[in-house]
Amino acid sequence: MRISDLLKLAFRNLMRRKARTALTVIGVVIGTISIVVMVSIGFGVNKSFDETIMQSGSMTIIRVQKYGAVYDENGNYVDSKEQVLDDSVVEQIRGIEHVKAVSPIIQKYVQLECGKYQSGVTLYGMDCEAFEAFEFPALQYGNYPTKEHPTTVVLSPQSMQYFYNFSGRNYQEKSVDPLTEEVILKFQEYQTHPRKKPFELSLSDVAMMEETDNWEYSYNIYMDIDYFHEVWQKYANTLTLEDRKRAVSSVSSYEEIKINVDNINNVAKVQDDIEALGYATYSEMQYLEPLKETSRMLQMVLGAIGSIAMIVSAINIANTMVMSIYERTKEIGIMKVLGCLVRDVKRQFLLEAGLIGLLGGIIGIIISYVLSHLINKYGSGIMSSIVGTETTGSLSIIPLWLPFAAAAFGMLIGILSGYFPARRATRIRAIEAMKTEG
Amino acid sequence: MESMEKEPEKIIELVNVKKIYHMGNEKIYAVNDVSFDIKKGEFCCLLGTSGSGKSTLLNLMAGIEKATSGKILIKGKNIPKMSENSLARFRQRYLGFVFQAYNLINSMTAIENVEFPLVFKRVSPKKRKKLAREMLVKVGLESRLAHKPKEMSGGQQQRVGIARAFVAKPEIVFADEPTGNLDTKTTIEVMELIKQMARDNNQTIVMVTHDRSLAAYADKIIHILDGRIQSIEVTERDKQENMQAHLKEISRKLLLERGGDTGGQDVPAETAEDVAKETTEGILAEEQMTERQITETEHRG
Repeated sequence: MRISDLLKLAFRNLMRRKARTALTVIGVVIGTISIVVMVSIGFGVNKSFDETIMQSGSMTIIRVQKYGAVYDENGNYVDSKEQVLDDSVVEQIRGIEHVKAVSPIIQKYVQLECGKYQSGVTLYGMDCEAFEAFEFPALQYGNYPTKEHPTTVVLSPQSMQYFYNFSGRNYQEKSVDPLTEEVILKFQEYQTHPRKKPFELSLSDVAMMEETDNWEYSYNIYMDIDYFHEVWQKYANTLTLEDRKRAVSSVSSYEEIKINVDNINNVAKVQDDIEALGYATYSEMQYLEPLKETSRMLQMVLGAIGSIAMIVSAINIANTMVMSIYERTKEIGIMKVLGCLVRDVKRQFLLEAGLIGLLGGIIGIIISYVLSHLINKYGSGIMSSIVGTETTGSLSIIPLWLPFAAAAFGMLIGILSGYFPARRATRIRAIEAMKTEG
Repeated sequence: MESMEKEPEKIIELVNVKKIYHMGNEKIYAVNDVSFDIKKGEFCCLLGTSGSGKSTLLNLMAGIEKATSGKILIKGKNIPKMSENSLARFRQRYLGFVFQAYNLINSMTAIENVEFPLVFKRVSPKKRKKLAREMLVKVGLESRLAHKPKEMSGGQQQRVGIARAFVAKPEIVFADEPTGNLDTKTTIEVMELIKQMARDNNQTIVMVTHDRSLAAYADKIIHILDGRIQSIEVTERDKQENMQAHLKEISRKLLLERGGDTGGQDVPAETAEDVAKETTEGILAEEQMTERQITETEHRG
């Protein structure tokens, strides 16, 4: 038979039992919707997890901190330990495979003054050569410090925004432009020697980072670590004898060592290597992993629910085809006697089943898009209660390949579930078939 | 019929054909050691009571059932040895069927039913529509083209069945009690139609019936009893022709009584011949192709 004749015959047979065909198609529609919508929600959840993590810092960063956390074998926090972080540790870590950049970090809380206005920020001293490797944001003006020119202080946009006049009556607030106004940096940790002039550093050589989502680069200010030591030494000289010693020893070891790994997939491995050296580590990935696990689980559960609906609709198609063959036994017998090839009988039934699947798949996809749209419009409240965070992105994301996959899957389901009924049809013996009524 | 200048070829040949059914431990010989042959253009009647095995014999010849042993040669091909596929192709090419219960497809109109065998032969829609239409005109149903079987009388349905059997110009037409469900008047119409169609194209008819009077249409009557051939009766030419004239007279009278509601029964002979010729030419190319296909399949099988 010609393909066109097969198609025509298949359509005609489907139209003969409109109600039954419609019900079977609806089964496939429901199956398709459940798969597409469920998978799309899975994608949406996954993406919003990723976004949440992105906001809280770069995911390839590992930190080794002075006070490392100690966990028991179940991963519960039990204690913290002090670990001595010095240049030898930095060099050891630098030797580990997949480490892109390492920098020691010293962290000091400092006071900034601009006339009568004051602000408190955290100053980070780190290796100026690592700025680029740590993917610091682009600068609005100025340049990152280099070994040749280490004196530049890198400011973040918000570090210049909240200056308060504490002597004023109602805490006036203002933003400072360090290019036009003089900003003075002061340390406050230790007692100044009564006969010495308190230490002050005027911030004249500055660079300004661009605004980013990452909070790390929003509030802090940065300095080359060698230049920091130089400044700190000057500060220490102005202190009382006792405090001078303490101040010098406080910077003899580092607060933190920050490591950037070349690839997100190697973070866990590098982390293990550092732990093997005997240092406790911390990374955002640690927290992302279980989150990812959760979202993967969620995706699988949702997919499984969808698949069950699809399996039910496959059984439904098979049932419809079996019924249809019973009804048309006589017709099949006549066709065979008139010279219809067995192959064509089979093809005809497969085509009918496939058409049901395809039709259901297409309608299902259309409805899925509508549902996905509605979920994104009204469902974000429900979403934040599931994930526990405020989500900004879409709750349901249908990737471009999904509709095609679903339509193909629908057709495949149809053909597969039509296969055994079709084979049964070909085995009908013409002589008996013609004796049946109908 | 033509004069007997030369012996027509044997188109069907049965040699020691047996069909055994097993009912529990019992063996039932539905067809028991039957041998005969049918010549091209012959109208052969298998006559017997119900349960005599005549229908089984027909089914064996048509390849609808497989013989237990023996040879059934049609156009030189041994039917029981053929694969299902080559049998299907063989039927498309050489065989037509008329059934007692008409066996039309109820969801299809008359013209679609007649077209159906051509659909399997991959004839183009335009061509097969034309052929089917011509065929229905020939059997006098030009006003019933778009009617479904349920909307037609038994006689009309059987005419659709005949049109379907003859539309592909098969060399052999098997008819299983073609008038079993019809009244006497219609029986005569239908028998005349089959006879006329077969004669127009020198087609071979194998008809199964229990009705002694219908056997009068045949050139050769094979009496079957309990699965065996009782006797073979070859109708003498002049006797047969007398009988035919007699039958024609009866049918004409009957038709006159019924009035003009006969459709295209009385198509002028010329026109009928023209149509037949045209149809034959039209289908020739298709036939050649199918024939090649069959031989190919045979080789593979």
